[in-house]
Amino acid sequence: MPRLPLGDWVDSGVNWLVDHLSWLFDAIRAVMEGMYNGIDAVLGAPTPLLMAGILAVLAWWLRGLLAGVLAFAGFALVDSLQLWDKAMSTLALVLVATVIALVISIPLGIWAARSKAVSAAVRPVLDLLQTMPSMVLLIPAMLFFGLGTAAGVVATLIFALAPGVRMTELGIRQVDAELVEAAEAFGTTPRNILWRVQLPLALPTIMAGVNQVIMLGLSMVVIAGMVGTGGLGGAVNEAIGQLDIGYGFEAGVGIVVLAIYLDRITGALGTQLSTSGRRAAARAPQRVWSYRPRPVVAVVGIVVLALAAGGIGVFGPNGTSSEASGTDVGKGKEIKIGYIPWDEGVASTFLWKEILQERGFKVTTTQYAAGPLYTGLATGQIDFETDSWLPTTHAEYWKKYGKQLDDIGKWFGPTSLELSVPSYVKGVDSLADLKAHASEFGGKIVGIEPSAGEMSLLKTKVLKEYGLNGSYRVIDGSTPAMLAELKRAYARKQPVVVTLWSPHWAYSSYDLKKLKDPKGAWGKGDGVHTLSRKGFAGDNPRVAGWLKDFSMTEKQLTGLEAKIQQAGKGKEQEAVRSWLRENPGLVDKWAPVSGEHAQSQAAG
Amino acid sequence: MQARLEAEHLFKVFGRRPDDAVERLRQGADREELRADGTTAAVIDASFRVEAGEIFVVMGLSGSGKSTLLRMLNGLLEPTAGSVRFDGDELTALGDRGLRELRSRKISMVFQHFALFPHRSVRENAAYGLEVQGVPRAERERRADEALALCGLAGWEESWPDELSGGMQQRVGLARALATDADLLLMDESFSALDPLIRRDMQDQLLELQKTLKKTIVFITHDLNEAMRLGDRIAVMRDGRIVQTGTAEDILLRPENDYVASFIQDVDRSRVLTAGAVMDTRPRGDEADCACETATPDTPFTELCAISARLSHPVAVLDADRTLVGVVPRQRLVGFLGDEQGEPAACDGSGKDGKKVTDRA
Repeated sequence: MPRLPLGDWVDSGVNWLVDHLSWLFDAIRAVMEGMYNGIDAVLGAPTPLLMAGILAVLAWWLRGLLAGVLAFAGFALVDSLQLWDKAMSTLALVLVATVIALVISIPLGIWAARSKAVSAAVRPVLDLLQTMPSMVLLIPAMLFFGLGTAAGVVATLIFALAPGVRMTELGIRQVDAELVEAAEAFGTTPRNILWRVQLPLALPTIMAGVNQVIMLGLSMVVIAGMVGTGGLGGAVNEAIGQLDIGYGFEAGVGIVVLAIYLDRITGALGTQLSTSGRRAAARAPQRVWSYRPRPVVAVVGIVVLALAAGGIGVFGPNGTSSEASGTDVGKGKEIKIGYIPWDEGVASTFLWKEILQERGFKVTTTQYAAGPLYTGLATGQIDFETDSWLPTTHAEYWKKYGKQLDDIGKWFGPTSLELSVPSYVKGVDSLADLKAHASEFGGKIVGIEPSAGEMSLLKTKVLKEYGLNGSYRVIDGSTPAMLAELKRAYARKQPVVVTLWSPHWAYSSYDLKKLKDPKGAWGKGDGVHTLSRKGFAGDNPRVAGWLKDFSMTEKQLTGLEAKIQQAGKGKEQEAVRSWLRENPGLVDKWAPVSGEHAQSQAAG
Repeated sequence: MQARLEAEHLFKVFGRRPDDAVERLRQGADREELRADGTTAAVIDASFRVEAGEIFVVMGLSGSGKSTLLRMLNGLLEPTAGSVRFDGDELTALGDRGLRELRSRKISMVFQHFALFPHRSVRENAAYGLEVQGVPRAERERRADEALALCGLAGWEESWPDELSGGMQQRVGLARALATDADLLLMDESFSALDPLIRRDMQDQLLELQKTLKKTIVFITHDLNEAMRLGDRIAVMRDGRIVQTGTAEDILLRPENDYVASFIQDVDRSRVLTAGAVMDTRPRGDEADCACETATPDTPFTELCAISARLSHPVAVLDADRTLVGVVPRQRLVGFLGDEQGEPAACDGSGKDGKKVTDRA
């Protein structure tokens, strides 16, 4: 069979689109971000409990008292988990994606219901959108729309579109043909047949579709979190990246609360909108817990709460004034740092966030997966990141994006890549010993993300060098999965080989042996480099200078990592601050303001 | 005189190349030959006229093409060939917009399974046609309520279709059709889904309404008894063709072919026949001279039997001017009931068989 260069075609197609239709994508992006920002601002304006009250009144009106109380309890729980802002931004993301999905899918569904040809054409496209692994679509979405909300919305949208179209089509096709004929027989125009007969009768099915759209949208927020949409999805990603089960569960509960709320609300909305639903509701016996206020009462309640919310928003504290001092180099200039949730990345990113904030910059940090991070840098949406392992581990990314990036310099090194076993595994000290112990390990090497540079090095070079190709299989997975497997095996004292690297906190948590590499198959160690977008140094010469001179010792790095690990999720910056207090003078050393200033400060 | 509705050489063919199929049908090809090619001839060369105020029944078994024929009469289906004229206007010349206008004002339809809108109340259903016409709400509700009252549904306006029995639902369907004041009512097996007692009620009510409303009605049915009860004239369809058109008596007494003849075997003749059909039109002239009960040509067969049972001599039939137009001896009554219209053969006995039978009846 000749090789069909499908991938190349897609590649060049995507490139062509990026080159020629960027104005369109920018416009779409602006619309989506505008919608998102608007909704997010509205949702985030009131104090959490007030907003929870508004949402609860809505539930009360649509479903009854019990639903209202439960809604309030659920949102109060989210607030007490300190996930409120994240939950609201996730809600905003889902709402934007849902609205856009419905605007596209309902007309498309109607069209498909009226034309067999359209239906036949749309169906495979929907299949493709729904089943194509979302990450595959996420990267092009990122190239088109950049990192952040728009790409997240698009990824969510694409996934959530299908049920909207399908259920609309199904709903309309299900309407009794005799009813449509009756409408025709009385001279109804096609448009009115749609509005007076088909849509009202298809409404329950369409609302089930809307419900599905929202649910699928919510299930996509975690994936969308990988491209920096933040919110609960970002929180889940962070938690997974750091194997923080508790935090992951909390963020997951937040998503569940949103999901249940939206599910019940849209379900009730469907009942309210359809005649049969209203009649059924009217027939049902009234009880206290199903008592529902009249719409007017509910609207008044919501408006009063919203006004109260608005009042608080207006008169509440308006943020803290920035500390003006001689060290204010940045003067509020914005710097965007991206990071992959690896420990040295988190540590150095939050370290620099703290340092730059002390120097008067406004710093935003956003977490990404490796691919999106490089894409974001290359397209100039991220200013810099501190965690590139060069020249070996991230060689692939460098090859692809190197021309669009600046290498500011190495701040830590050398690192090493290795296979490691728990020290209770006897007789295996070197890669050369592995072959004889294949059965002991079940012939498995627990790997990490298949996209990681270390994995390709392992598969193409290391295994070959030591003749392990026949006897071992590398299990593709993820870093968290690898660490979980290590933890599990370690607890049971089972033999296990994992793919690791130094520095890594696993070495301080577990007693592990790095397998020696007498043949040097892993190559020389990498340095951890800071990469920036092209032109960053020109725009921010001071910052670039600081970053260029920046370096950390292993003791400093592991100390900081440990501090962050202890402080726990969400408190990275506090951890950095307290670490800096314990190691005074480092800020001035890493980000010297100017000779005189430093001296005058020291003197003062 | 111009007929209210006139169909001329109507063809409807479903499938590929319908025009070719029509050509072949004109040249005498039959339905089965076309079916082999994957085309279905639903209606073949149908022609008829429906006069104003007439109930015209199209009778046929399922698959005979009667529903397709009906849908060509209001333009829901476009004829493959032939023409339909309503009040002299060619339907095919009207275009979509004109057809919709016609359907909303002049022609309304009652469906087999009622086709009521489940998301609308009874009143809103009855007012549907008027809503399409753009009649203001107050007026259309008033007219809808009137139509509902006419159909015996006063007091049910606020109910929902699924709260009504089948018969009542069809009354709503009828009210919806009547509310628009359309001249032509198309009824597609409208009573077939109802159980027999309700069906009779509805037939009676339709006939009752028709006395005052004088609509032109095209009524589709597969039930010959229903056709005979309702129809001023009946067209019998078979395999897409109209095989006979005529009054109930024409069909019953003078079937044009074996198919129609086999069809009418099961018909309850006593319900269809009237004195006019049964009577001997060659009276001696003095039959009505006594003061005994007489009949008119419209007197139903069963009533005629009752009169005959009370008299000792044949029943005289007088028309509206009280002129003698015919006479019905008992023997004739029995003969018509048994589809035996010849003269009795000679017999050794008393020849009083007819009297005995009549007495028992």
